[in-house]
Amino acid sequence: MSAKNLFLNSGFVRAPLQNGVGRYVCQLQRIVLKFCKSHGGSRGMRDFIEQDLVDFAKHHPGVVVYLKPRRHRSPVIVGEYLNGDRVWMNVHNKTHEEITKWIEVLRTQQGDIASVRLRKYQYTDHPSIQGPWTPFTFKDPELNTAELPSSKFGANNRLPMSATEQLRLMFEKQKISTKTEDLKIAE
Amino acid sequence: MAMIRASLQKLSRVFHGGQAGILSRLATNLAPVENKSVSEISKDVIAECNQLIEKNASRNFAIVHLLGKQWRVTDGDLLVVEGIWPPNIGDQIKLDKVLLAGTKDFSLIGRPLVQPGLVNVTATIISKGLSHTRTHFKKKRRKQYMRINFARAQQTMLRINAVEITNKINAKASNEC
Repeated sequence: MSAKNLFLNSGFVRAPLQNGVGRYVCQLQRIVLKFCKSHGGSRGMRDFIEQDLVDFAKHHPGVVVYLKPRRHRSPVIVGEYLNGDRVWMNVHNKTHEEITKWIEVLRTQQGDIASVRLRKYQYTDHPSIQGPWTPFTFKDPELNTAELPSSKFGANNRLPMSATEQLRLMFEKQKISTKTEDLKIAE
Repeated sequence: MAMIRASLQKLSRVFHGGQAGILSRLATNLAPVENKSVSEISKDVIAECNQLIEKNASRNFAIVHLLGKQWRVTDGDLLVVEGIWPPNIGDQIKLDKVLLAGTKDFSLIGRPLVQPGLVNVTATIISKGLSHTRTHFKKKRRKQYMRINFARAQQTMLRINAVEITNKINAKASNEC
């Protein structure tokens, strides 16, 4: 199963309305809690409404909270965002704590971010500041006026030392050592 | 005709003839000659960089270490960081682990970090939610082995507010005498 075969859109990192530049705006605008007053599946939801809902509304004045009781239907949370996204979540048989956590997730995210697979984890308007690298960046400026082909710039200095060169080096070293020995003897 | 051609060739040899040509000598003269000592050069370079910082002529960037990853950031960038991380939405944070900072004309390379207080990278947490559901599917053929797991990672989105070089290079810290 590859990502190609999933019904999952891919996208890039975006934030609506330059959010966070200068000021930050909470993106969750409206949250609707649908529940049943009598069924057991809504038990956790009813607990949340009784204990935490007033505090939630007090702490987050930017979020509009609606309650929608309906008979014999499972509980549902729907969040609506500034960019038009709508997130629907079934919370049947979820406990009070679980519902608290899910509502926090809905509040802090900036839209329906779970519906896209991110292709990149960074977005920038300025991909390069010092200019993109070319083969000539950080090269000796003398190269600009050199006449090519030149032995200085064209030399292949990336090859490992060959056996011949090694032998020659050894020979030279030997010559030097024999010379010094001769000198010592002469002294 | 032949004579003219020969003389032309001679002339061209004078101009282009490898090491001894007139043009090549001119070319080598074009290369800048620095007779200053190393300490003088470094002083000059630092002074010029400090001037550039004062002028604030170009956009800055920094390479920041964040949750085990290195990010190249500049003003207005968006980052998405994965994994459980305490900061919540609306928080302003300062990214302290700056590995490298630079402008258009110079770079300050940390060893491994740029000196503390020199570069100021601030960010705002924009969004904190869960990623899409990732499927971890494992199967071994002919071994009656198959596992399927689903995972959602926490994703925190950051907006980089500013990358500023606040201090002079090699300036003494305020608590240093």
